[in-house]
Amino acid sequence: MDLHSITKVSFSQVVALARAVDEHGGQADVARIAEDVEMELDGIGPIVAAAEFLGVVTVEDGDLRLTDFGRKLIKASVKERKAMLREFMKDLPVFRYVIQLIETSARPASRQDVIDALAVHFGSHSAEDLFRALVYWGRASELIAYDSRSELLTLRTPGVPMPPAH
Amino acid sequence: MAAPFLEVKHVSKSYFEAGKEFKVLETVGFELAERDFVCIVGPSGCGKSTLLRIIVGLDTPTAGSVRFEGKPLVPENPQVAMVFQSFALFPWLTVEQNVELGLEARHDPPERRHAQARKFIDAVGLAGFENAFPRELSGGMKQRVGIARALAVEPLLLCMDEPFSSLDALTAQSLRDEILQLWSTPDLPPKAVLMVTHSIEEAVYMADRVIVLSNRPGRVVAELEIDLPRPRNRKEPEFFGWVDEIYSLIV
Repeated sequence: MDLHSITKVSFSQVVALARAVDEHGGQADVARIAEDVEMELDGIGPIVAAAEFLGVVTVEDGDLRLTDFGRKLIKASVKERKAMLREFMKDLPVFRYVIQLIETSARPASRQDVIDALAVHFGSHSAEDLFRALVYWGRASELIAYDSRSELLTLRTPGVPMPPAH
Repeated sequence: MAAPFLEVKHVSKSYFEAGKEFKVLETVGFELAERDFVCIVGPSGCGKSTLLRIIVGLDTPTAGSVRFEGKPLVPENPQVAMVFQSFALFPWLTVEQNVELGLEARHDPPERRHAQARKFIDAVGLAGFENAFPRELSGGMKQRVGIARALAVEPLLLCMDEPFSSLDALTAQSLRDEILQLWSTPDLPPKAVLMVTHSIEEAVYMADRVIVLSNRPGRVVAELEIDLPRPRNRKEPEFFGWVDEIYSLIV
């Protein structure tokens, strides 16, 4: 699995899902959680898949079980959560690949460069979705910065603010 | 005795149309102390949002007064800041520029403005999204911008009008927890939070005290201290007890 499972989900939805499972003592049926959070099963499905992908829950026979990582995530502060996310993201093949692409090119990588590269590696049908996910999770983990006006991607040093836009 | 942090006294609000009076709020009164996190709940149309707008100075009462540390509130008072249900972001400005907007009235030098904006962007978990535009953000993130913008002016009182009601349930829950996390951080403003919601569960989850308004015209029917320990578990019977009690006061 790769970034595909988290293209349409936000980090805060994953954290809230973990919280909801925790309120049931760390284990609960998917249907039960869906009812709790007032979502249809097809709405919560992608969030469950993302939480599983990120190692926050395990899923077996429709039962969600909070992992140690998930438990740590709930207790963490907003900043600690970002750091945990970053640790996870930086080792994903798609992130490693794009970070390398930006590092090795002398100039900032353009949106088009990255989409083309993603299409080569992961297939053209999903390159746009993957790019959007890359930008979202790249920003959320503070690994990658993207300027949608210039359409340029740059690497970012976590914790160091970017120069303000003009 | 020192004046209360916030005093809402005999506030009434009516609209007049074709010579007919349309009462929205009737002699509403309560006080807020420092370190209070208070939620106002009530059925839709009970005037709770109008009440909040009067408190922050966006609307004027027909009768009664709002006093802040003993003094009347002046419009655009930097001591209070508002988080809106609709986020109220400017689509042509980046996250950072939207947050800085609230600071422009203070005539701070640009460097100080940037630093202040970044501090609160960081606090709401939006570090990494400084240069993003609102259209690139989910609803939950847009509201984080709204919260950062409100906090950046370092208000003494933070007012929130149904801040989570346009978000999906999971995102809303995440934001509730993050707001409570921010609230428990001692070096961050504000000194008190006043939040309006139609969700009784949300009020019981978040507030130290819940003020219950009646059907229109809104009157205070009860003020309840929610003494549940935090973090609160919405699955526990004590939690439901509070929800049921407030529910019975409204219907």
